[in-house]
Amino acid sequence: MSTIVKARYSSPGGASLARMPKSGTLSYFEIALLAACVGVLVLGIPESFMDVVLLSFLWGGLALAWNIAGGYAGMISFGHAAFFGVGAYTSTILSVDAGLSPWIGMWLGAILAALVGGVLSLVCARLRGPFFILSTLATAEVIRICALNWASLTGGPEGLAIPPVASLASMVFDSKQTYALLMLGYLVLMYVFTKVLEASRYGFYMFAVRDDEDAAGAAGINALFVRTAAMALSAFLTAIGGSLFAQYFLYLDPTHVFSLELSFQFALLPALGGLGTAIGPVLGAFAITPLSELLRSYLGDSVAGLHLVIYGGVVIVVMLYFPGGMAAALNRLAARKGGKGK
Amino acid sequence: MDTLAQLVLSGILVGSIYALMSVGLTLIFGVLRIVNFAHGEFLMLGMYGAWAMSRFAGVNPYVGLLLVVPAMFLFGMLVYKLIVTPGLDKPHLVIVFATMGLSIMLQNLALMIMSADLFDVPPMFGGRSLGIGPLYVKTELLIGFCIALGVTFAMRWIVKTTYLGKAIRATVQDREAASLMGIPVHRIFLITFASGSALVGLAACVMLPVFSVFPTVGLNFVLIAFVIVVLGGMGSIEGALLGGICIGVVQSMSSYYFAPAYGQLFFFILFMLVLVFRPAGLMGQKGTANLGMNP
Amino acid sequence: MTALLKMEGVGISFGALRAVHDVTFSVEQGELVGLIGPNGAGKSTLYNLMAGALRPDSGRIVFDGRNIAGLKPHHVARIGIARTFQIPKPYRQMSVVENVMLSAMLNERSVSKSRERAAEVLFEVGLESYVDSPVSVLTTGLLKRLEVARALALRPRLVLFDEIMAGLTPSEVKAVTALVASLPGRGITVIWVEHVLYAIMNTARRILVLNRGELIADGPPQQVVRDRNVVSAYLGEEEPADAQG
Repeated sequence: MSTIVKARYSSPGGASLARMPKSGTLSYFEIALLAACVGVLVLGIPESFMDVVLLSFLWGGLALAWNIAGGYAGMISFGHAAFFGVGAYTSTILSVDAGLSPWIGMWLGAILAALVGGVLSLVCARLRGPFFILSTLATAEVIRICALNWASLTGGPEGLAIPPVASLASMVFDSKQTYALLMLGYLVLMYVFTKVLEASRYGFYMFAVRDDEDAAGAAGINALFVRTAAMALSAFLTAIGGSLFAQYFLYLDPTHVFSLELSFQFALLPALGGLGTAIGPVLGAFAITPLSELLRSYLGDSVAGLHLVIYGGVVIVVMLYFPGGMAAALNRLAARKGGKGK
Repeated sequence: MDTLAQLVLSGILVGSIYALMSVGLTLIFGVLRIVNFAHGEFLMLGMYGAWAMSRFAGVNPYVGLLLVVPAMFLFGMLVYKLIVTPGLDKPHLVIVFATMGLSIMLQNLALMIMSADLFDVPPMFGGRSLGIGPLYVKTELLIGFCIALGVTFAMRWIVKTTYLGKAIRATVQDREAASLMGIPVHRIFLITFASGSALVGLAACVMLPVFSVFPTVGLNFVLIAFVIVVLGGMGSIEGALLGGICIGVVQSMSSYYFAPAYGQLFFFILFMLVLVFRPAGLMGQKGTANLGMNP
Repeated sequence: MTALLKMEGVGISFGALRAVHDVTFSVEQGELVGLIGPNGAGKSTLYNLMAGALRPDSGRIVFDGRNIAGLKPHHVARIGIARTFQIPKPYRQMSVVENVMLSAMLNERSVSKSRERAAEVLFEVGLESYVDSPVSVLTTGLLKRLEVARALALRPRLVLFDEIMAGLTPSEVKAVTALVASLPGRGITVIWVEHVLYAIMNTARRILVLNRGELIADGPPQQVVRDRNVVSAYLGEEEPADAQG
């Protein structure tokens, strides 16, 4: 029935550098990847590349956040931009209007987003599959329209700007490197959290509810509670990413921040990288973000949209023929290499 | 009072056109149990096709549909073979994401080839409206309404009386049993998907005289289509018509009494209400919403 | 001795169809009770009522002195009633041991303890060679054993088996029957809905027979088999043209 590769237990072939990390353990691959990230940060690289690096880190964290609800608990959402935007706007409004440091404001935004996510889950508890996806879409759209029209709060279509005055307290920095450090911090924390979660009993509960809700119920698991908690958690963590983004980009407007395209991105990166694994979303983010940024800068001007055509094509091919995503493909590669007695 | 009647009338007419564009989606879901997230882009393609016919062959969309509809049927077959078939035996999210990828591709292909500009067809009736009593009706809307009604009845007739219709109904009720009875389920799927695509092409030809076409026009309408399909009941053709009319009226009235921006807000709220309280929709069977993708 | 499970006048209808009507019986601790009946008798419905998947329209379901009618399935599991699924429902993206671990987690403190317990249970049901395998390698017969393992891992007081014999080879039937027969000795009460009659008739000390939603017999197998109502219920359902076992 399901051909999505199970990435949770060992495949034959012994240890190898390229093997995807098992849950609950730390593999060489992960350490190497982390070292590479830190290295890139520390080495002097051209400013233009710093943007891509920092965005890759941020998207890695955001993809991991989405994955908790979508990949682990099976609640595929095309509306996560709602949580991203709520986080971004809350910390920004509190910072710009009330002078509250984003370091604090972002937690408030996250709590608000978690409430929205939790309520959405409860309200749409009986919806499955495409119906649930549509409800997430509708929620994000409703919030976008409200944000667009509630100009007194959100600045409406003109958006909100954060004064580019660097200071630690206001989470505005001069150097891109500092931002990249911030984003890397987010990514690493998200990754560690995800790994701990997937090895814990709560992670197991989510997988059970995802794979077969009735069986989970028969095993004493309260599926409604698990779903709601997963969505709230995912929303919380996405909102934090939203706040970080706002502090980097220094400008928010509802059309972009609550957009459908953004919501798709949150879902696509984990799907391409490998749902249901911790490393998958990171791989997806690291592969796609630079690719799309580079494609956009080299092709985007000459032939607007070509990079996205390629992107769309890649999505189709990967989803149909490599449903386990990059993580599973790499797993298979590693298994084959290991089998050859390397 | 006249304003209200005018609003309701326009709402019904526009809504019926919305319904026409949603019938394909509901048919595909009813039979194949998949959601085509590229549905809006199918509409966009049809609209560009109709526009091209008008621009280069000089025919208006109502004539152009003679070519656009079969072309969309063939396109539907192509998409079915390339994208749907490999995804059918996999978890539903595979098709969800694959059709999303298709949607991104098509939008950007349109952007590359046609540019982001809005295209229209020249008005066919001199921009005049027909008078019906004290009310006014844009001719294009009235034609669209008639076509929508005609199509709904034709589909009903096909489904109820023809062998194909019976085969489709059997497949909907129990695809394994249908297959055991000798019904070529995959052929039915192919025909249904392609027909859904053709219906979108028809809707596109009817919509072009009223709405402009641009690469992301699909995004606007696909959400409306989803709302209509859920409201009317997934798989119900009459439900799509009813749902479309509801949405048209809600949008028309809320745009006038509140603000155009809020038009969308209200039917999304309506959408959420339906999803929560009666996910099977107005005419759907109860329990349809519990049907996941995998049988 | 107070009964472990008491069904008191339990009934449910689906529209005009009275699927289960006025069913009353008690099951004592340590019993192994079989529930049989011809197709369409309402066995599955009754089963789902006991497991919390359905809520009765009338009557009470009393487990250990407490009315559990209408409790959600996860609640029912937590108070000590385990169930299997007629068509196995494994967690397909997890391994065999992980499937059982989830049930074990109800009672175990840690994930590692749950794994130990799960491995034990897998050994009991004879699946020890599949511990870390993906679920996809299991045949139907083995999947049914996995169902049994998941139920046992809950440390239940009462286990409800739903047609676990269907699709098993004779030797598998023997093995699973032995396993089920051993449960009362371990303090686990069993209610066993089954279609494969020879397995259940030789194991259960008491058989309940359901027909058209009503309980028509309740007694030892030898007595029930001779009961006129039971015989006509089964024979009466068979048409000469398509008589099939």
